[in-house]
Amino acid sequence: MTQNVGIVIVSHSPKVAEGAADMVRQMVGDSVPIAFAGGNPEGGIGTDVGAIMAAIDAAWSQAGVAILVDLGGAETNSEMAIEMMREDQRSRIVICNAPIVEGAVMAATEASGGSDLAKVKAAAEELMAL
Amino acid sequence: MKFTPENKTTELTASVLLTNEVGLHARPSVKLTQSAKRFRARLEVATAPDGPWVDAKSPVKIMRVKAAKGETLYFRASGADAFEALDALIDLVKRRFDEE
Amino acid sequence: MTPATQHALIAAMAETIIAHTDDLTALDLAIGDGDHGLNMRRGFEAVLADIDNLAGQPLPEALKSLGTTLVMKVGGASGPLYGTLFITLAKELPAEPTVTDAAAALDKAIAAVKARGKSEPGQKTMLDVLVPVQQALALGGGNLARRLPAVAEEAARATVPMHAIRGRASFLGARSVGHMDPGACSSAFLVAAACGVLEGACA
Repeated sequence: MTQNVGIVIVSHSPKVAEGAADMVRQMVGDSVPIAFAGGNPEGGIGTDVGAIMAAIDAAWSQAGVAILVDLGGAETNSEMAIEMMREDQRSRIVICNAPIVEGAVMAATEASGGSDLAKVKAAAEELMAL
Repeated sequence: MKFTPENKTTELTASVLLTNEVGLHARPSVKLTQSAKRFRARLEVATAPDGPWVDAKSPVKIMRVKAAKGETLYFRASGADAFEALDALIDLVKRRFDEE
Repeated sequence: MTPATQHALIAAMAETIIAHTDDLTALDLAIGDGDHGLNMRRGFEAVLADIDNLAGQPLPEALKSLGTTLVMKVGGASGPLYGTLFITLAKELPAEPTVTDAAAALDKAIAAVKARGKSEPGQKTMLDVLVPVQQALALGGGNLARRLPAVAEEAARATVPMHAIRGRASFLGARSVGHMDPGACSSAFLVAAACGVLEGACA
């Protein structure tokens, strides 16, 4: 059984993160592991490295994990989270340069077809190409 | 639906009317690409018989087609499982993407 | 470094940040989103809560734990930036560092902070304090522990006329001019606190 790439959504807003994950699940189905992290440790607007690490673990797949972020802080904290993951996981986690909701849908769609991590990332980033 | 195999390139073509309410919107686009990805064949979609053709396995490109209800989708396929692939895609569109 | 010195070092840094929470808040209200003081206090309160454990570990392990705590507790952009600083220092420093070791480790840590924040000196950030401090450390000479806090303070003041192009302050553009950068200020406090304890050790 081949495992599909997992998708992690990291937003400054807990509601955006949860809503985006919900939307991806409804549109793409359950064949792709999806997890999300939103808000700072107090539940306010922000991001939380610990929560991002937990989300990566929750969506973990042998094929790796693609992360979608909303603003700079989410990207910085996601980079930090990746560095703090286990050595064997680090090389199989990427951050996509794509809009968070649409990118998550595209990445998950690509992942649901069994594509590898590079192709999943490229599918999300295709949104940025004119 | 009619298949017109062309022996020169073994390229199959087919067309089908979009009858679902929202046309080739986000969710149907996802379903179409998911379906296309199950096949090895090269699969392309257009809204006119002579193209421009877009890769049916690219969710971004399919969403940008923005075909509406009442438009005709044209498919072309080549590869070992091209026939089965076209069959599946046409069937999905005819089932209105299982929307209703 | 003795456990007692290490205890004093970590306590001084944490207590300085906690004592200056309101100052950092005021600076960040002027040009950021006003949470730098509270964020830093939360991080260093967590460090203080763990201080006995930290003081008993070899210096690199202690700095790694401290950095990890800051990453997890501070939040905002400062958590990963300060976390990266301490975690990189931990990676680069030997258990008993000389001034030369400290300068080399700080150089590596600054490079990691630059990469993490995608920023360079001159952009009104903590780097504008860390870089001059590292340069003074690399030059060496006498009374370093006494001179570095002054270098740090002067460098923090030099961020007042700078125009922010990174972080939240960058949204203000020219309106960020005229205020000290909160991150530069907290860095200067940390340098002063650390040097105050080390003055006996690395004169």
